[in-house]
Amino acid sequence: MSETILDVCDLSVERSGKVVIKDVCLHVTEGDFVGIVGPNGSGKSTLLLAILGVLKPKSGTIQVYGKPPNSVITNKKIGWVSQAAANLPKNVKITVRELVKLGTINRANMFDRLNRSSNDRVDEAIRKTGLENVKHTEVGRLSGGQKQRAVIARALASEADFIILDEPMVGIDRDSKNSLLKLLDGLCHEEGKTILMVSHDLTAIRQTAHRMVFLEETIRFDGPVKSFPGLEKLADLRGIEPVH
Amino acid sequence: MGAGVMLLELLSPVMEEMSYLMPGEVFPEFFRLEMFQRSLLAAVIVSIVAGYLGSFLLVRNLALIGDGLAHVSFGGVAIGIVLGATSPLEYALVASVTSAIMIYELQSRNILAGDASIAIFLTGMLAFGLVYLRYSGVGITVEVESYLWGDLLLTSSSDLDTIAFFCILSYLFLIIMQPILLATAVDPLSSHVQGIPVRQIGLLFSVITAIVVVTMVQVVGTLLVTALLVTPAATAQLISRSFRSCLFWSQVFGLASIFLGLYFSAELDTGSGAMIALVAAILFAIVGATVALKSSISSLSRESKQAGDI
Repeated sequence: MSETILDVCDLSVERSGKVVIKDVCLHVTEGDFVGIVGPNGSGKSTLLLAILGVLKPKSGTIQVYGKPPNSVITNKKIGWVSQAAANLPKNVKITVRELVKLGTINRANMFDRLNRSSNDRVDEAIRKTGLENVKHTEVGRLSGGQKQRAVIARALASEADFIILDEPMVGIDRDSKNSLLKLLDGLCHEEGKTILMVSHDLTAIRQTAHRMVFLEETIRFDGPVKSFPGLEKLADLRGIEPVH
Repeated sequence: MGAGVMLLELLSPVMEEMSYLMPGEVFPEFFRLEMFQRSLLAAVIVSIVAGYLGSFLLVRNLALIGDGLAHVSFGGVAIGIVLGATSPLEYALVASVTSAIMIYELQSRNILAGDASIAIFLTGMLAFGLVYLRYSGVGITVEVESYLWGDLLLTSSSDLDTIAFFCILSYLFLIIMQPILLATAVDPLSSHVQGIPVRQIGLLFSVITAIVVVTMVQVVGTLLVTALLVTPAATAQLISRSFRSCLFWSQVFGLASIFLGLYFSAELDTGSGAMIALVAAILFAIVGATVALKSSISSLSRESKQAGDI
């Protein structure tokens, strides 16, 4: 039986005194590729921030690799991939290699000089993400797709087994999107990484994920991609009544 | 004997040899006379650390923190002067570090957004210093003015020791912490996930900034600290393609501002602090104009090449 990577049980989280998600239960096992979809403000980012240990639950529990979020064990195993277009600062001149190298730092080696194995991991992550020919290029000069790959490479350099992505498809053209999806698919099926991806892009999630989760305050659907409801059923699940 | 005087004794013979190569009538004295050597060494040490620190301040969007903390330290200097302290900089250090911690807490806890907390501390402590000096009957003396505008030539041996000690300590800290400081500045959330204590690192960085700023007050004065802290780093960003080269060039531009600034101030008999700040700004303008010109020439040649292809 596959190892349990993430176990979220009856989770409720408040932000600024308002309940954003409630009674959320989510189970992710090794090798899963889970796509989380939902409208704006449905609590997708809140759920991710709670899993990362940034937001504290109001009630319920979160276990990552059997431990509470942000413990010493999870620090090495989780790779966080933010939306590159919005989160990479514009006021820093940093090359792809410098950015990816930052992924090798963790609680245990914070004050060590980077050693050969760290450098090997950096090169390997750059190779896997197909950024070898731009590794000495400043990140600000890359295309949207390349920037997102660079952020993924940073997560891979940490040797993480569980990759969590937040809206990686934003600001990326169609061709880059396709190759990014292939990269994620390869990471899951060839490298055995477990992937949890939040995206607005329903089609992209359908193409890559094994399982889809529809979140709107609570989980309204959780099942295989092929069983994901059509528009009418989805409206019904969300409690939206027909107006015509 | 402190770190500064030891360093001066070590470098003094080298500086004397260098004096023969230096241009101008007065400028070579900076390499020959002990009083001037002390000033020069203090300025060089401060500019190297300030350039290095400045690159991190730009990444963290904290360009104005140096200015804020320098004004805050003036409040501390005022207390020191009124109380008759031999080294008012110690009082400045306490004021600057305390304010840096409070500014960081206000920002990180989202109590006050952006630069508002810096603005409040900047004006509040500067006003306190001015009011306290007048109220106590000391007024704006030459000594007070030297802290406002900087008077490098007044650097005593004990000042040099203080500057060298804190700058070397800060420089070592910045070098050791460089990857973590960069990681937490570029992406705090990823750093948190990697187990880096983002908050504590941010707080420590604020304290180091406060310390470096106080050492700079002696060299360029309260009003011109930003010139050595931010301008060389901003100039470096114009020509750098990596963070590593930003760190290198910001120190080079800092040193260039010091040497050229001291040269012109010595030869033209102007205030050293103001001339150093002016040179730093002129260097930025020259490099900025060159980069802009280069980029328009290359885009023009690209366009004409494309037109030729058609």
